[in-house]
Amino acid sequence: MIPLHWYLWLSAVVFMVGVAGFLMRRNIIIMFMSIELMLNAVNISLVSFSRYLDDMRGQILVFFIIAVAAAEAAIGLGIIIALFRNKVTAHVDEANEMKG
Amino acid sequence: MTLNDLAPLIPLMVIAVSSVIIMLGIAFYRSRAFSGLLTLAGIAVAFITLFGVQGTRQVTSLLILDDYALFYIGLILAASFVVALLSSDYLEGRRENIEEFYILLLLSTLGSSVLAASTHFVSFFIGLEILSVSLYALIAYTRNELNIEAGVKYLVLAAASSAFLLFGIALLYGETGTMEFSRMSSGISAQGINKGMLLTGFALVLTGVGFKLAVAPFHMWTPDVYEGAPAPVTAFVATVSKGGVFALLLRYFIQVDMHAYPSLFGAVAFIAVASMFAGNLLALLQKNIKRILAYSSIAHLGYLLVAFLAGGVMRVTAVTFYLVAYFITTLGAFGVVTMLSGKERDADAVEDYQGLFRHRPWLALIFSAMLFSLAGIPLTAGFIGKFYIVAAGAGSALWLLVIMLVINSAIGLYYYLRIIVVLYAQPGHSEVSAVSSLPLTGSLVLVLLTVLLLWLGVYPEPLIEMIHRMTMRF
Repeated sequence: MIPLHWYLWLSAVVFMVGVAGFLMRRNIIIMFMSIELMLNAVNISLVSFSRYLDDMRGQILVFFIIAVAAAEAAIGLGIIIALFRNKVTAHVDEANEMKG
Repeated sequence: MTLNDLAPLIPLMVIAVSSVIIMLGIAFYRSRAFSGLLTLAGIAVAFITLFGVQGTRQVTSLLILDDYALFYIGLILAASFVVALLSSDYLEGRRENIEEFYILLLLSTLGSSVLAASTHFVSFFIGLEILSVSLYALIAYTRNELNIEAGVKYLVLAAASSAFLLFGIALLYGETGTMEFSRMSSGISAQGINKGMLLTGFALVLTGVGFKLAVAPFHMWTPDVYEGAPAPVTAFVATVSKGGVFALLLRYFIQVDMHAYPSLFGAVAFIAVASMFAGNLLALLQKNIKRILAYSSIAHLGYLLVAFLAGGVMRVTAVTFYLVAYFITTLGAFGVVTMLSGKERDADAVEDYQGLFRHRPWLALIFSAMLFSLAGIPLTAGFIGKFYIVAAGAGSALWLLVIMLVINSAIGLYYYLRIIVVLYAQPGHSEVSAVSSLPLTGSLVLVLLTVLLLWLGVYPEPLIEMIHRMTMRF
């Protein structure tokens, strides 16, 4: 059996890729994809913990996370389309009416 | 599991069912008055059914309906009721098809109530997401440029913060082997625990929660979202969403003793001090009422954290009383902004309020009362709340934090008084004063909130008694 910490490293690396993408990219759709990547990194570690602890609860939480991520994407894309209609851009730096 | 075990959840079910009824109702018959009345009725019925829940009822390992949860759910329901009343006149004419607003309002109220009752990471996560996913849509609801921008900012940052929160939950789950708050502390004290992983988990959870509470250094989104969101929604974000999360945070750290982790305690103390200073100092630079109130809410959450760090039962009393006062005051202040807002833009520039006392003396007096309460002037609920926080902090010998709080109250006084001075100055040229007549429901709500504010400021004993009875069960 592959030891637990391998999975945790994988999860941590995927999470960091997500964080890096979120911080460095300015296209809102890419930023949203990075957030999905972060959530899926969490899913990897939850499933591996769940398997390692021999306890189903971690995997049940994963199902909830998948469902919630889908809901978030639905609402999120709706708002992004509304932004696009106003500005004809998906660049977050263009949404800069409010400052201070 | 029998039907009887689920009976304590009736208040939550009423809220959920009424949102479904409104959704189905809209499919057949669109009417703002109808949806609004159904919403108010749903919230009122849920509030009444709260009194039917007797004693402490644990429903599965996910939710608990004890006096603490019931009190906070009641507070959340009352705040949503006020927001629903304020928004009814506000929404008219701002966009077509405004009925769905009420569905989203009910859903986010449900999410916040679930947070107040949750004892498990799964219900915590679900409650938080029901709350925030409906908030994304509420913030961008009227679809003007500022709304959408605020919605995008909130969406991106809130989604990222929930990812951090979940990673923290995963680490805590992996280390302790449980997601129940009550079993977590025994899991933590077990042998062979990896301290580093545990603290990383706590730090990540704190990041996620700190974002929702808008405490420094996770406060960057707050002013923009407050400014961009429609005024009643801003009131909702400031009260209901923060109240539910704070109730959960307090419950969690009553179960898991934070004082066993000096580094965690230090981190929260740093957040408290940073929020107080960031909120109050940045508010001095603002010229927009909504932004001033946003920064002031950051500072108020900092004050709340001081009480939160104090030990013992006193902190629950202090935090709860302060939250009640904060709810009344914030709803009142944003209520005034809502009432004065024209259809083109919200009345959020300080100049809009110049000489308000001359055209609308009552509104100006109400707004001054709210600002005095935010500043913590005696005879208002804000003063009693601050007094309790200082007492709780002093009781636990957190002198440094208490001194910071006092310094910050003095700084805060400056920008609250600045607004009050503007209210009573010579009238300027502003289109806001041209708003012809004020909606009746909104005026009644504001008068009621002011009466409550003064009543709690002069005679707080009944509420204190109630909170004491609630905390006895802990």
